[in-house]
Amino acid sequence: MSLLERYPNAPGAWLGELPITSRYTAGLAGERFLRAIKDDGKIMGSRCDRCGITYVPARQFCERCLDELDEWLDVGTKGEVYTFTLLFENLDGTAREEPEVVAFIRLGDGGLVHKLDEIHLDDLDIGMLVEAVFKPETERQGSILDIAYFRPTSP
Amino acid sequence: MSERVAIIGVGWVGYRPSTPEVSYKELTYEAAVKAYADAGVNPRRDVDSFITVAEDFIEGTSIFDEYVPDQLGAVLKPVHTIGGDGLHGLATAHMLIRTGQSEIVVVEGHSKASNVVTLPEVTAYAQDPIINRPLGLNTDFIAGMEMNRYLFETGTTLEQCAAVLVKNRRNALRNPLAPYGADLTLDEVLAGPPLAWPLGRYEAAKHADGAIVIVLASEERARSLCDKPVWVIGVGWCNGAPSLESRVWGDVPYIQKAADMAYRQAGIRQPHLAIDFAELDDTYAYKELQHMEALGFCRPGEAGMLIEEGATEPDGEMPVNVSGGSLGMGNLLDANGLARALEVVLQLRGEAGQRQLDEVEVGLAQSWRGVPTTSGAVAILSN
Ligand SMILES: [Zn+2]
Repeated sequence: MSLLERYPNAPGAWLGELPITSRYTAGLAGERFLRAIKDDGKIMGSRCDRCGITYVPARQFCERCLDELDEWLDVGTKGEVYTFTLLFENLDGTAREEPEVVAFIRLGDGGLVHKLDEIHLDDLDIGMLVEAVFKPETERQGSILDIAYFRPTSP
Repeated sequence: MSERVAIIGVGWVGYRPSTPEVSYKELTYEAAVKAYADAGVNPRRDVDSFITVAEDFIEGTSIFDEYVPDQLGAVLKPVHTIGGDGLHGLATAHMLIRTGQSEIVVVEGHSKASNVVTLPEVTAYAQDPIINRPLGLNTDFIAGMEMNRYLFETGTTLEQCAAVLVKNRRNALRNPLAPYGADLTLDEVLAGPPLAWPLGRYEAAKHADGAIVIVLASEERARSLCDKPVWVIGVGWCNGAPSLESRVWGDVPYIQKAADMAYRQAGIRQPHLAIDFAELDDTYAYKELQHMEALGFCRPGEAGMLIEEGATEPDGEMPVNVSGGSLGMGNLLDANGLARALEVVLQLRGEAGQRQLDEVEVGLAQSWRGVPTTSGAVAILSN
């Protein structure tokens, strides 16, 4: 309960809301990146040779030198946990009893933010190897959520 | 064209967890009138240009810049709104005066955070809509992941991060502007509930309402209007790699670049020697340590030791957030940078009351725009 709600003599206030719906175009590179996840279960990067950087997710241009990138490569579906957090709140700020395990997984010179599952919290560490678990092909929609989560690689 | 730019007046209202009786316009009006009285200027006659920092989704109004002029006395005057932190506004005022375009400029920032009913959702709408937002995560996850990597790379400890919270909320007890003063122990902080582990819930600054107005002038006007001008001797700002996938996680190079820009203008080569005290972004406790290192006050990994040694306490070698920072005064959203700058001004004028530092000549204010951004700014002020 906010401070304001606990204050019985607080003056009233007007409420307003706006339904916001936006269209987002994934773009030339974004479309191809998401299609590779959906159709092939592959995570693709794009390479800037000049800067020596493999961007993941693949993108159309290099943010360092602004070259257009046309060299695409499959970076595999396994990567290291570069950093992680145990998130104890929901999107709307309400508290969670059980945390969501969220990580940045290094792939190429970039990576993906995603949830981790099938994991014991005690084993969780920076540097651990994890792999993408894809949804069944029939359920994929060309979304980042076509990867259900990442889990520790089997030894 | 004026080589030197001074702050000649400041006004503020706040800071309070909620302000149900006043509108944001009335908050701003009060701060503006105080600032004009302090500067000895008539806004209708003397001020050449006005700048507000604000964000439509936070304000709850589309095209918010249209709602700015009246409460500042800026009707039928040049006005613009910047989507950025308060120090970006201060930097813009500095440029307007340096170029000779204006002689007196007003910068305004406010927070009516208590009215933003869905702030977490608004913040989440800043995440990448295709690659990140579908995960449905509260944006604090970015702070948790950044803190974890920062601790990993530098060896900074949870205790050292918690010490920032203890220091700043204790400092706030001596600041009548600060609503979140408290005398906590390290153990109490460390035993607190987690938010985005390793980040604890207490280590994220609570929000507050308030407004800050700052009047800047060219050297000539400052000398005729003001007997205690505070000079803006350097300003810098910078944006990092915005995407979560290409940013560096343990470090904040955009703050380092913003500082380099400001240090160059101010002719500062050894910041830890040249700067007497600093007001830094501490909207999450660990950020104060990370920002100290990016600003070159010490090497990476040393800020934690400095706080343990008490070097950043009010009586230490480099007091940091003697005001209480955002942890003690409240997170004022886009106005945070102006709150940092305001404290530096009050200290340099010798008007900081109980918390006044002795013999200070150069102070630094630094801001960060919060998750998920990688943008920040630095201003160096001198009396
Ligand atoms: Zn390149």
